[in-house]
Amino acid sequence: MAVPRGSASYKKKDGVITFTDDKKYLIWSPGAGTGPPVVSLAVASIGKVQQTPDTSPKVILKVFENPRTDDGEAIPYLFHYTSTTNARAEANAIRDLIAELLALARGDDPNIPKPLNQGTSSNGGSAGASAAMSVASAANAKPSIARWFDDSTLMKDAELQLSLLKKDSSLSQVYVEARSTKPESISDAAFDAQFWSNRVGLLRAHAIELNQSKGAYNILSTIKPRVVDGELKLSLVKEQVQMIFQQHPLVKRIYNENVPKPLSEGDFWSRFFLSRLSKKLRGERILERDGGQDPLFDKYSEADNTMGFASKITASQVPHIIDVEANEENQGGFKRGNRQDVEMRPRKNVPIIRTLNSLSEKIMAEVAPTDGKLVVSAAAGGGGDDGDASLDNTFQELALRDLRDEAEMQKIALNVDKHNDFFQNQSSGISEESKMYAKQTPAEVMFDLQSDMEIMDKDASGGADLQKLIGIDDDSDSDTEAPDGVKKGAHVGSRAARKAATDQIFESLEKTKTEMYGLDTDELSPMDIPPDLTQKCLITNATSVEFVKQFWNSFLSGDAKRTEEVAYYADAVKRSIDRIGALAEEAEATRVKLDNQRKQDIKEHYKKSGKKLRYIPVRGGKNAVMAFFATTLAALNHAQGLYSSALKK
Amino acid sequence: MPTPQDVVDASVHYQGEQTQSTIPSLLSVIIDTNPRAWSALNNTLTLTQAVANALVFTNAHLAGDNANEVSIIAAHCNRAVWLYPTPPRRNTNAEAAQPPLTGNEFPKFAEIKHSVFTSLRELVSETTEADIKSTTTTQISGALTLALTHINKTSISLTTSRGAGYGGGPTTGSGPVATSTDGLPGLNARIVVLSVSDSNPAQYITTMNAVFAAAHSQIPIDTLCLRGNPTFLQQASYLTRGIFIRAKEPQGIVQYLMLGLNRLPPSFEFASETSPNESSGKKGGGRGGTPFLLPNAELVDFRAACFCHRRVIDTGFVCSVCLSIFCEVPSEGECLTCKSKLQLGNYGARPVVA
Repeated sequence: MAVPRGSASYKKKDGVITFTDDKKYLIWSPGAGTGPPVVSLAVASIGKVQQTPDTSPKVILKVFENPRTDDGEAIPYLFHYTSTTNARAEANAIRDLIAELLALARGDDPNIPKPLNQGTSSNGGSAGASAAMSVASAANAKPSIARWFDDSTLMKDAELQLSLLKKDSSLSQVYVEARSTKPESISDAAFDAQFWSNRVGLLRAHAIELNQSKGAYNILSTIKPRVVDGELKLSLVKEQVQMIFQQHPLVKRIYNENVPKPLSEGDFWSRFFLSRLSKKLRGERILERDGGQDPLFDKYSEADNTMGFASKITASQVPHIIDVEANEENQGGFKRGNRQDVEMRPRKNVPIIRTLNSLSEKIMAEVAPTDGKLVVSAAAGGGGDDGDASLDNTFQELALRDLRDEAEMQKIALNVDKHNDFFQNQSSGISEESKMYAKQTPAEVMFDLQSDMEIMDKDASGGADLQKLIGIDDDSDSDTEAPDGVKKGAHVGSRAARKAATDQIFESLEKTKTEMYGLDTDELSPMDIPPDLTQKCLITNATSVEFVKQFWNSFLSGDAKRTEEVAYYADAVKRSIDRIGALAEEAEATRVKLDNQRKQDIKEHYKKSGKKLRYIPVRGGKNAVMAFFATTLAALNHAQGLYSSALKK
Repeated sequence: MPTPQDVVDASVHYQGEQTQSTIPSLLSVIIDTNPRAWSALNNTLTLTQAVANALVFTNAHLAGDNANEVSIIAAHCNRAVWLYPTPPRRNTNAEAAQPPLTGNEFPKFAEIKHSVFTSLRELVSETTEADIKSTTTTQISGALTLALTHINKTSISLTTSRGAGYGGGPTTGSGPVATSTDGLPGLNARIVVLSVSDSNPAQYITTMNAVFAAAHSQIPIDTLCLRGNPTFLQQASYLTRGIFIRAKEPQGIVQYLMLGLNRLPPSFEFASETSPNESSGKKGGGRGGTPFLLPNAELVDFRAACFCHRRVIDTGFVCSVCLSIFCEVPSEGECLTCKSKLQLGNYGARPVVA
């Protein structure tokens, strides 16, 4: 059936409304309808269609497009049929076709609301067809978006989970290990549900990631012939071909007219890329020395490509406040003043600028707007003037807010008292310090202090001889000689004291060093646990953590229905503890073996060469593993303890 | 910087490393003179001995560079007092002003020693029994504040004098950065505290204010704790990237001071960013690209304690308004600090097990 066409005006511009050949899109193009469409609505996203009744003189078609986001409004498009003779018939034809297509699209959709409501279609005669033109439900436009935010859908989507597991190997290890070691009492499904219920965020991120695809880009610039075996080769993928057709309708037209009849596909493309047309489309300059004219391609001027394209932005109503052209005109045009700057003068032989601009505009027209409203829909109330709403919006955006007064900060006053209690650290009643202080009497203290000062005073030279006070006597052989007046042995500055101080400082330096830099071996074999054992320990740790987390989840919910679950998880916790013990034993066995080996080697070496090697005991046995798991074990035991005490109650 | 003549000239010139920082360092020593604590320590270490050791430490600091400076403050039980530089005296006692100059001592050292001991003597003589009875701890926050203000004043006076006199300062080109980012311009300052007493909870807010000010100006607060448990100073050291040493052997005090508390100016500590194993430039840097480690192995106990009983807890209840922690639901659901009414969710429902 031929595609019905009608002359209709959209936003006060004349044009032609029709369908694409595959009947997937309802398009409207201005002017004679030869250029690319300004408005193109996917039939699949058309919700409601309304038309003025046959009896009314005006023929207007109103099409509602489904919102692209969940909570947007349906966007209406108004087309006034302008044909003087045939408006009604055209309108009806188009409307019927829409109805058919919608019915087809929804034929297999389970949630078609059947009866009409609110009298959408006015034409009683085509009530049957209209019935299928149902009020749109969200079915078509937003399946993917709803899916992402619906936790239950994500959890049921096994495919998604599998792909995530494939992608993330550590996660899959944990999953496999936990699954294989879970107690039989928990069913597979329940385990899965539990496992993923904690990780819904991961699933969601993965789904969104999978859904992202690359946007449109200037395809011609990316197709370059490569030199293979001395001859130029070019390969085209189906997506690339699609993109070329989308961005350059001229090429599409030529293709449709010429393939497969006069030209084969391969020929078509090879000739196309060699022709001047492709150069023009890319925006490169054409010099006379370039190859001869291709008889087919170079007939067309690339202007056809761009001319019919009316910018979407200028087609819609631009709010007067930001309409630069209109404002200039309002003030009498701009042909005044100095000539424009060198950069801004229009140039002759730079076709690439025009090409790139028009191409970018085309591509951007396809892209969903980031601020959530389509340019076309700025006139929400009808095809006429700016709706009040949009003008208000524009004003809001442009208004200057910086110079207003600062808004009063809304502060909530907290009444905090009793500071002191909070800043005392754990005082278990009376501390040792206080006891000691209680023993002192102020008089004693005064005496001590003053006598101290007097000792110093007695010294010659009105001050103190620092050297004597420090008590470092380099010449004394050993500190056991009692220097006169001071206690024997230990005194301030004695060598022993100094040495002790030095040792302490170096010890803490060493500790800081290990903390900061660690040891090289720490990555693969921390504390000298052999690498494969380390891997096992890591996995065991992850699974134990998983089980303990599930345990707390069910234990603390206080839900009577989950009592069995709690029991299962308690069991799993117990098994984790046993597993850790087993690992420790294994480590110990390995260690003992290595140790004996080392001793053996030393003995042999001694036998051979008579030299004794130092015996360094092998580290990394049971103690190391236990230290490794210390915190995990504490958590597991704690969980177990709480469970058993709750059981007893 | 080698001039063309130097290159041509056959003699050998010693180009001292320009990394010699010409920024003066100001060391502030705060000596905790809590009489009761010192009286408890009297058998191992007396106050005068400790002060003498501290003076050796400051003399070493002064010897490091001509422009280095020192300030010494005593944190007494009821007030903080300047020991050096001496505040203008009320009684103009000429004799007290000038130390007797012998030919044996570097004048600056003598001056400091004289000033410190004179002020100390005065402090002790003015202490009455009532003062000692009043408190068992020391006014550390006051001393910290005094030190910080002095540092600030010095830094300002140095930058203005430098700008006027030198026209940009001698550290041009190859010298290290004259200021650390956010730090005080023109001065490397640090504070060393000799502590013998516990932290006074009533002084928490004031002490922490001083600590945060120091942290903001990148002034490390190092502490040598001879006895007691000064928890605020531990936190202070942690926050300001300082050192906290708990001396196991107080009689070796001189070694603790000289070995443990000596620091290079920050320009050295952050100098070489190109060392291969540097860890985000925290303590990296140093002359050969080897990082300069500080003996800071004391772990600060950051565990939360509940506000009602001061018990350390693992899990508890947090008020959503003021974030205070409780080990059990407060009575009537009213938060103890901010008095806002709180509601409990479904946590803590008795677990149904069997």
